[in-house]
Amino acid sequence: MMKIRTFGAVAALALALTTGAFAAEPIKIGLSGPFTGGSSSMGVSMRDGVKLAVEEVNKAGGVLGRPLQLIERDDEAKNELGAQIAQELINKEKVVATLGFINTGVALAAQRFYQEAEIPVINNVATGTVITNQFKKPDYDTNYVFRTSAYDSIQAGMMAEEAVKGRGYKKIAILADSTNYGQLGREDLEKALEKLGVKPVAVEKFNIKDVDMTAQLLRAKEAGAEALLCYGIGPELAQIANGRAKLGWNVPMITSWPSSMQSFIDIAGANGNGVMMPQTFIEDKTLPKRAAFLEAYYKTFGVTKIPTPVAGAQGYDSVLLLAAAIKQAGSTDGPAIRAALEDLKEKVEGVVTTYEKPFSETDHNAISANIPVFGMVKDGKIVYARGEDAKNSGVVRKKEKATN
Amino acid sequence: MDWISTLLQAPTTSIFWQLVASGVAVGMIYATIAFGYQLTFATSKTLNFGQGEALMLGAMLGLTLLPYLGYWLMLPVILIFGMAQGAVVERLGVRPAIETKSEFGWIMATIALGIIFRNMAENIWGRDDLKFPSPLPETAIELGTVRILPAEIMVVVGALLMMAAVETFNRRSIYGKAFVATSNDIDAAGLMGIDTRRVITMSYAMSSMTAAFAGVLVAPVTLTGATMGAVLALKAFAVAIIGGLDSALGAIVGGILLGVIETLTGYYVSTGYKDVPGLILVLIVLAIRPAGLFGRRTIKKV
Amino acid sequence: MARALPFIGAGLLAIGLFAFPFLAGQNSYYIHLVQMMAIYAILILGLDIVVGYTGQVSLGHAGLFGIGAYGAAVIFHHFGMGVWPGLLVGVIVTGIFGAVLAVPALRVIGPYLAMVTLAFGTIIQIVINEWTGLTNGPLGVTLPPPRVVDFADWRSFWQSTLGLKAAEFQRLEFYYLCVLLMLVAILVVNRVVRSQYGRAFEALRDSPIACDCMGVSVYRYKVYAFVVSAALAGLAGALFSWSERYVSPNTYNFELSILFLLAVILGGRKSRAGPLIGAFIIVYLPNVLSDIELVRIMAGMIAAAALVALGIIALRSREKLVRALPPVILCLAFLPLTLNVNNVTDYRLTIFGLMILFVVFYLPDGVMGFLREVFPVLKPRHVTAAQPAVASAIFADRGLADAKTLLRVESVVMQFGGLKALDSVKLAIAPGTIHGLIGPNGSGKSTMMNVLTGIYRPTAGAVYLSQHRIDGLTPSEIAGKGIARTFQNVQLFGEMTAIENVLVGLHHTFRSTLMDAVLRTPRRAREEAEARARAMAILDFMGLGQFAGTEARNLPYGKQRMLEIARALALDPSLLLLDEPAAGLSAPDIAELVEIIRKIRGHGITLILIEHHMDVVMGLCDTVSVLDFGQKIAEGPPAKVQNDPRVIEAYLGGTVAEAAE
Repeated sequence: MMKIRTFGAVAALALALTTGAFAAEPIKIGLSGPFTGGSSSMGVSMRDGVKLAVEEVNKAGGVLGRPLQLIERDDEAKNELGAQIAQELINKEKVVATLGFINTGVALAAQRFYQEAEIPVINNVATGTVITNQFKKPDYDTNYVFRTSAYDSIQAGMMAEEAVKGRGYKKIAILADSTNYGQLGREDLEKALEKLGVKPVAVEKFNIKDVDMTAQLLRAKEAGAEALLCYGIGPELAQIANGRAKLGWNVPMITSWPSSMQSFIDIAGANGNGVMMPQTFIEDKTLPKRAAFLEAYYKTFGVTKIPTPVAGAQGYDSVLLLAAAIKQAGSTDGPAIRAALEDLKEKVEGVVTTYEKPFSETDHNAISANIPVFGMVKDGKIVYARGEDAKNSGVVRKKEKATN
Repeated sequence: MDWISTLLQAPTTSIFWQLVASGVAVGMIYATIAFGYQLTFATSKTLNFGQGEALMLGAMLGLTLLPYLGYWLMLPVILIFGMAQGAVVERLGVRPAIETKSEFGWIMATIALGIIFRNMAENIWGRDDLKFPSPLPETAIELGTVRILPAEIMVVVGALLMMAAVETFNRRSIYGKAFVATSNDIDAAGLMGIDTRRVITMSYAMSSMTAAFAGVLVAPVTLTGATMGAVLALKAFAVAIIGGLDSALGAIVGGILLGVIETLTGYYVSTGYKDVPGLILVLIVLAIRPAGLFGRRTIKKV
Repeated sequence: MARALPFIGAGLLAIGLFAFPFLAGQNSYYIHLVQMMAIYAILILGLDIVVGYTGQVSLGHAGLFGIGAYGAAVIFHHFGMGVWPGLLVGVIVTGIFGAVLAVPALRVIGPYLAMVTLAFGTIIQIVINEWTGLTNGPLGVTLPPPRVVDFADWRSFWQSTLGLKAAEFQRLEFYYLCVLLMLVAILVVNRVVRSQYGRAFEALRDSPIACDCMGVSVYRYKVYAFVVSAALAGLAGALFSWSERYVSPNTYNFELSILFLLAVILGGRKSRAGPLIGAFIIVYLPNVLSDIELVRIMAGMIAAAALVALGIIALRSREKLVRALPPVILCLAFLPLTLNVNNVTDYRLTIFGLMILFVVFYLPDGVMGFLREVFPVLKPRHVTAAQPAVASAIFADRGLADAKTLLRVESVVMQFGGLKALDSVKLAIAPGTIHGLIGPNGSGKSTMMNVLTGIYRPTAGAVYLSQHRIDGLTPSEIAGKGIARTFQNVQLFGEMTAIENVLVGLHHTFRSTLMDAVLRTPRRAREEAEARARAMAILDFMGLGQFAGTEARNLPYGKQRMLEIARALALDPSLLLLDEPAAGLSAPDIAELVEIIRKIRGHGITLILIEHHMDVVMGLCDTVSVLDFGQKIAEGPPAKVQNDPRVIEAYLGGTVAEAAE
């Protein structure tokens, strides 16, 4: 084992020398996400967003005079692989921090290793509310898990409120996928509805890659639902939108954020029009920072659209936050970085928002309920669902208060 | 157990028929893929576990060619591509395994090829599920109270036509007769001067051809992406087994049975347990008829 | 030296595993990797029983693994029970599910079996996902760090003797538990497969029908194989649960089952080292393939290994060298290829797939099979007879010879669709005689054999063996009652040695249980020794003594036929059915056969002989029955039957008058 490690180190060094970027030893940052298989569309957008940010940071001279180096690992959305990768990144690669996790299950299986090793991990896509609460006080003195995505209870709250208060529906059906992403979301939706005094008339499940949603939709329809709240990812949400059209049931559909995925827009086509979803980021060039990000992304990866814009943007921001924290900590020591994240002095201008004290000792979620807006699918694009949001798109929504 | 009483009253409601219609459409998707399993099993007693990927490649390539060739011109290209792909699978994966008498070799080889094709597709076409435009209108048509997509009707009709074409080919052409002879008794066929190795290659080519065609056929209804084949191939495997691995009729009946049971369970019992009764059906069928509903039962001879 | 090799190997493995945490500098990544390998190895050892020994495909082992994992997790989640009860529950519950899985799997073969196991695994996964009350649903269950022993009592021991802080050892205790249980699993599997159970597993793979006819119920032993395999899967699952400390339903899917199957085949079937290699590959390869530097190192090692293998092969034979060139060139070409690639993540699975294909092409018996080919010393030892033959013990007297009629067939009808293969046939076989059964091809002789041995259940009529009705019983029950048979087309257990074939026939002499086999009790050792002595005596009796250690498939054809008779004799039959024993034999072999048949009768065994060699029939038989188109057309002493006009007609076609012209 020693031999392999020395060889690895030598090879890494050789690589660093030949690329000739920096003489200083790079700061290693782990990146864990699904880059192959079903949820890899989100994983790859997230990875590319992260890569873009790392490149920019390095161009600007790196952090503490050292370049950032990404160690990418494909967790294939498998929990046990995620756990194994976590240990590899911590113990073999000796990363300073890790970014990633698309899947809530992988996050829950893997992040305890970071907690035990006292290495910060920033979830930039996974939304399970429980993720940042896994190592909360008082059971744990410190919590090494952070997040830059809008967690489920924010999204669920927005969805419920829009349906009940915004549009005045009382009969609501929930459709959620059978993974823990969907089921955790469903729980949060039920809670949010309960707060508003509404009990869903139907709660249905569907599987990843399900071809036919007729049964679920008919159950909802027969129960008299006036609106569908759906928790799932792009392709299956699109199948729901299509199935709804097939049955000739023109019912409003409000979903969790992944209906902004390109796959939803493509597959649902005209049937997707009017579907609403909470968004932290909409591909919109009003803000110069966002315009720059989008242009760089399109150029670097040779695309005209980000497949999953939210994942790309949150991934991008997670690097900036981490870089700022390392700079402030002045070291690559885990606890120091954690402390810096919890008390970030620098104002970090990201693409989702401008982060002013995004985290505190008790609040590890950078996104508060006021930041996400409702996006809406309109003719193959995600636009602001509400006129006033569109008007204010040039105004950065900053974090207000801790909600979780 | 109130769902039982609802189910008993069900056939009078329009919902029941809507569910059946959707179930039939889904079932025929499974049946088309199941049919491909049967073709290779007939000649070589092996299955292509990469059948789902053959389907996916057909759909993805079809999608790529669509803007250049149009829908109808794209079809023959896809058929030829499917044949080539199947022949490659047979020559690379199955034949060496059969020749080395490796019992599980072909299972591993076809799985491995499936993994490679899927990974290549991810790198070529990206990881997103895409939209496959249907050549028919995308609004549902009403048959009585039942609403159904033209693309779904096309799946049913196309699948039946495809199976009829292959069956006709087998019965009428000399190649087809060699194929049938090899299915019945590979050794005897070999002794009669039939090049059974070529017949097996042909059967793989035809199997992948049907899969590629099925890919183009079902893509407007299902998702279209590198991972589209995995779940469908598994369901189709169940269908092929329910029907029996040597009966095209079995594939159709098995497919419709599984599809309809899935949608009915989803509606009348629980959407969470939607897949379970179908799987239990597999177990029950095999407990009673170990070679499937329409499978040939062989008498033990010693 | 060769005999000691497994012990040396096992010893080195044990020492290596014990020392590993210290060699790895207490790096928990590497320790966890080995721990995972140990856990997977336990499962794969068990899967090898089903796949390698009984030759059945299972795509349901991920489901069994999941049951074990959830067994442990659920009793923690609901009752707060720790590692030990978890392991116990995991093993027992999964063992029971193994028996449940075996039931639908019994009657089906090949792809149908694959589907049954797959359906089972999928149902398990769905139920785990949906039964939220029990399993906490998709959210999964989180477990605390495992505590294997209570360290309060032992602290002074660790500190004084090993110079370790308790905390240091606490981190390792679970690792040691896993590797220890893996070593135990190796031992258990080793003992099971070398007992009469293991022989039964192999026998039912090579020829299920012959296995049943040797009194070894295929159904029953398939269930045993599945239960043992499932129990090990459950153990692995429970360990996995506590190792990962987080279980959720999506882990135990079809892909994982495939991965397990790959591990068995890649590592090499029917060996203990194979599953370890397989586990190493499936655990470590994904990690290697995600790191380009490691991929390059691996490519370098593969190239070096290929060169070494090439060297060894070149020394042995030029012919093999030519065949070995393409794979070696492929191995060598892999290295420059990896040096040219900079990012491996996107193409990881393609490389994985290509490696599987390479193994299928060039190492069809897995890594272990390949190593055995290159280093024959690694081939499994067939235990050769340590006991001398004890001639007097060959045949046990069943005490049936007193009856007037040993076997009575009453108006048996056997109908296949529209065809009556047997049409109201009556037979009465006197004890101690040789009864010939002749007739043209297709006259129903073999059908009669199959009816007598329970392979077919007659459509009508009855069969009595000394007053006991036997039609409707299973072949293994009938074999147990004392009817043994040989087969028209030889049905030996090809991958087993001659003596092992006979030992399968002697299966009925064993009283020891699976537990006896695992614990290697004196009772089992005694029975094994007795059986081997007797098997050797039977082989000597048949003139096969020198072939005891030869695999049946490698015997000359004549000897294979003799071995079938030897195996049948091991059953202690009162009635022995020989189905064309002389077919394909040379003249000297036939003479030897005739002698042996006489000797068998001399021991008081009744025989029914189907034969086309008329001189054999006429020379041996006391009575001959003639079948034609499923009907008995003549019966009597050979000389009389030979001249019966109806018999001549049946054999020559046409009428007697025509034949005379």
